[in-house]
Amino acid sequence: MGEHLTFIGSVTAQLVRAVPVTLLILAVSGVCATVLATGLTVLSVARSPLPRLFQRTWTFLFRGTPLILQIFMIYYGFAMVPWIRHGFLWTAFRDPVFCTCLAMTCCCSAYIAEIFRGALAAVPRGEIEAGRACGMTGFMLLRRVIAPSLIRIALPSYSNEIIMMTKSTSLASTITVLDITGVAQQVIAHSYRTLDVFCAAAALYLLINAGLSALLAALERRLDVDRAVSSISVPPVVEPLS
Amino acid sequence: MTPPSPTVLTATNIRKSFGDREVLAGVSLEAREGEVISILGGSGSGKSTFLRCLNLLEVPDEGQIAIGDVQAPLARDRHGRLVVSDGRVAARLRTQTAMVFQGFNLWPHLTVLQNVMEAPLRVHRRDRDEVLATARTLLERVGMAGFHAAYPKRLSGGQQQRVAIARALATNPKLVLFDEPTSALDPERVREVLALMRSLAEEGRTMIVVTHEMAFARDVSSRVVHLMNGRVESSGPPAHMFGPDASPAFRAFLSPAAL
Repeated sequence: MGEHLTFIGSVTAQLVRAVPVTLLILAVSGVCATVLATGLTVLSVARSPLPRLFQRTWTFLFRGTPLILQIFMIYYGFAMVPWIRHGFLWTAFRDPVFCTCLAMTCCCSAYIAEIFRGALAAVPRGEIEAGRACGMTGFMLLRRVIAPSLIRIALPSYSNEIIMMTKSTSLASTITVLDITGVAQQVIAHSYRTLDVFCAAAALYLLINAGLSALLAALERRLDVDRAVSSISVPPVVEPLS
Repeated sequence: MTPPSPTVLTATNIRKSFGDREVLAGVSLEAREGEVISILGGSGSGKSTFLRCLNLLEVPDEGQIAIGDVQAPLARDRHGRLVVSDGRVAARLRTQTAMVFQGFNLWPHLTVLQNVMEAPLRVHRRDRDEVLATARTLLERVGMAGFHAAYPKRLSGGQQQRVAIARALATNPKLVLFDEPTSALDPERVREVLALMRSLAEEGRTMIVVTHEMAFARDVSSRVVHLMNGRVESSGPPAHMFGPDASPAFRAFLSPAAL
């Protein structure tokens, strides 16, 4: 029993050292995918058909193929292309962490763009008209009227996507990255204690996601004006006599 | 005799079709400073569409619009359709006006005070202290002084509409457009909003009001315009329109209300 606990303790310590790698992949691809998705969303409502076609094709390709194949294609596939292999890009493409981030950025941006696109369509037309009617245009309208509503509508689905991304980072282990899952497999290879190690790894993912969920839920609460209002003192809703 | 007050709005021969349904078949309207014009008509008569053409929320298929000294930037594209040719001028035209909507359309993420301050602060870039003072005065005026920090969702329909009216007045527009401002309210709230609109009319605001409130049209407006099938069927001062010499079509339109 004592030996068992010691083993789990030492495995956990090893796995925890891999947490920064997992978080790095998540942070880089999360930020990049969100930025890219914002761009794709803008393209999806463009007036001319070409940008819209580009967004639809992007979504079709990256949402329609398995992420693990995208990772393999970028990491193993691009190594076969002479001008990448022998060009300055090779410093990036030989790095498995970079390749994972690139694949996840492309894939998740397709999903997030769809979330944003749906949220944009759900922003009440009247709020936008009220903005236009008082003379707002372009960027101001987007920043002051559309974005605040869009973010509130998109946030629950967006949070879900981020949680999914956390789990997807484990695919990096298939191309030699020593993230949580990668280290877990390494430990199992010489200890053969599959269940213990995977349980410890799963516990770490649970912890990360619990933290993320709490963070995103706090953000959601903060943006919810109905709840935020209770902290400010507001007189009760009473109709004054007219 | 006093000289006629300056013209605030000139809309000439406005036409608009949705698909093959012609909603406006050439409507013209001129509004002078201080006039309160009620636009009446059955549903589908094009009255809301006409109002929305005035600030270019809808782009008309034909016609010209000028508000104050700003001419609506309408030009034909290569297909011969009328389009807004300069977004900045269109925005400048809109800054001369304000609109009060049937569905209030307050911005839900801003407080009552922020809603009122938004346009003068961001669009007109006026001085913050000045804007704040104006907003306070206006909210007091519409009976919402105690609700600065409240969010729109927390308010009743009548309260939201009164805030929306304060928001509309915050930029001191040359022309206020009301698009069925009481149609989404229950009867009790209708009264408080109409009372407020009446007081605006009395202080000399230039207003164009699309409404079903016959009493408001009769008692408050300086001119009544009856739209039917996308045309001005008849128009005139309320004394005439609600008198015995009104057009038969308008009398027929009124009669169900009289019963």
